[in-house]
This record gives sequence, C-alpha cells and structure tokens, in this order.
Amino acid sequence: MKEKWRLLKTENNSAFTNMAMDKAVLVASSKGLVPPTVRFYTWSPPAISIGYFQSLNDEVDVDACKNLGVQYVRRITGGGAVFHEKELTYSIVIPESNPKVPKNVLESYRRICGAIIKGLKHLWIESKYVPINDIVVNNKKISGSAQTRKLKTVLQHGTVLIDVDVDKMFSLLKVPNEKIKDKLISDVKQRVTSIKHVSGNDVSFNEVADAMKNGFEEEFKIELVDGSLSKEEINLTKKFEKECFSTSEWNFKR
Amino acid sequence: MQSKSVYKIPNGKLLKIFLDYDSDKNLINKISITGDFFAYPEESIDVIEKKLKDTFLTKENLLEKINSVVKKYNIEFIGIDAESLVEGILRCL
Repeated sequence: MKEKWRLLKTENNSAFTNMAMDKAVLVASSKGLVPPTVRFYTWSPPAISIGYFQSLNDEVDVDACKNLGVQYVRRITGGGAVFHEKELTYSIVIPESNPKVPKNVLESYRRICGAIIKGLKHLWIESKYVPINDIVVNNKKISGSAQTRKLKTVLQHGTVLIDVDVDKMFSLLKVPNEKIKDKLISDVKQRVTSIKHVSGNDVSFNEVADAMKNGFEEEFKIELVDGSLSKEEINLTKKFEKECFSTSEWNFKR
Repeated sequence: MQSKSVYKIPNGKLLKIFLDYDSDKNLINKISITGDFFAYPEESIDVIEKKLKDTFLTKENLLEKINSVVKKYNIEFIGIDAESLVEGILRCL
C-alpha cells in the first residue's frame, strides 16, 4: 500500500504568513504530529523573498517595494532573492529519517526536483535538473529551490514560474551596476522562462497544482491526500509570523 | 575602515563580504558574510562571523579560524567553501 502524505493548498497569503507556515509545518513534523506534507501556495500581495544569508538592503530596493505594494521577507533557507508573483510555490516537509528523501543534501535536491520535472511533464513541458537548485527548459530557468534541515526535518521550497515579468522584477531588485542594468535585464530575459512562455497558454494555479500533485505522487510513489493545517500549526504560524517573519529585526538582520 | 567585496565563486555562488577592520593592526572588527549560498546548519555562519572578530587578516589565520568552526559544527557548504570565504575576505583589503 502506498504511503499517504498530506497535501495543502493555501492561496493568497502574505509573505510573512507563507514563511511562517512552512516553519510551522516543519516544527509540527519534527514532533511527529503531522505526516510528510507537500504544500502549494501563492503570494498576495506579490513579494520578494531573500535567502537566509542575503543582505536585504543590498539585494532589494525597499522603497520601490513599498511604492509598488510588494512585500519582502527573509527565508530560513539559503539561496537567492526571488520575486513571487505569477507562480506556484511548493514546499515539502519530511523527516530526515524517511528513506524516500536521500540523506545527502545535493541528492535530495535532485530527488525533490524530480517531482517538479514529472509535474511539468503533465503540462507537456520537458525539463531537466541543473545542480545545485535549478530546473531548466531549453537551458532557461523555470524553477528554483532552496532547502534547509532543522530538527531532523527536511524543508525544501521553490518556485514554478507560471508567468514572469523580468522588468518588474528588476525594478524591485538592486543591481550591482546601474550602467549595465539594461544589459542585465536582457540577459535574464534570455535565461528565464515560464509555463506560459513555453506552452503559449495561460495556465491556472489549479492546473499547475494538479500537475505537480501527480509529479510528487509519481516521483515518491506515494498518495497525496488533501488536508488542512492542524490547530497547533495554525497557532505556530501566527506565532512565527508575529515574532519573526514580519519583524524588521529578522528581515534586516543582514 | 569599512569595505565590501563581491566575489563570484568559480562553480559556486555569489559571496558578498562586508568588513569593518583596523587597517593599522590588520585586525577584523566586524564581519558580515552574505550571499546566495547554502550552509548547514545555517547558524554556523553567525558563529564564523563571531569567531573572526579580532582575527589577523592573513590567509593562514582566516583559514584556520574558519576551518575550526567548520569542524566543530560539521558544517556542510554548498556553493561556497572555506577557501572562497577567505578569498572574499581578502578581496575587501
């Protein structure tokens, strides 16, 4: 019989809630309170997340974010700055002891990205994994991921781009040299793609979520069962949001 | 004196070091290690930053201090390593 994992779909949460929720599920999982969990989510308003080690002021034009109503948040995972607007974001939380996830970090990136690659196949998109943490279609990035391991639990979250507005993204991110900004933007346009660009269609969040659900089930040979957050997870989400992710102390800590 | 370096690690990630140092004594006052790399456990980078305070800005001293923390915390780096951290720091000078 197939192992049953929990599937959460939580659309339109703030950046702070989204990051708090991933951490809440991680903590609940580490206590053995919830099964391995896959979550698909979106961001409302749009937001920039930065990697745990990045400097917010060095990476993000905070004033531009405020003017455009874009939130910003520091993740608990490493990696780079990401503009979350038209995408499906996924997260997976699973005990390190579960044999379905390799002990080795790089191998586990490959395995989890395998679920996204299989999901994209359901949308008729052929993609491949490029270490460390990217998935590309015709050498253009369509998905990026970041992983942490805490409390003997793996959390990996990442993006699947449904559409992308590179010009808007660069109006929010700082670039090292303003003089080469135009060149940088055109370079990134060459290196980034999305489901819409590849397929030529407008694809909804739910269609992408269905495809990704199939991808996870096939990759891990499990069954994803629709579920919801436990009471403890809801309380932890509120706590982490208030005490950590919405605070300047956390977001500007580097 | 305050300084910053931006170092694209060959086959790795982008490392940005913010360094406050005493240029007469060649000692680190304060350092912030930033970038889009990965390190497990993440908190070990905070420990490295603290350990590097009052360290002489020489390759040998920096590498020794960083490696001692790497060993103690069993740090796993991805997209970065001890040598590239030293290179990033020395590029601030």
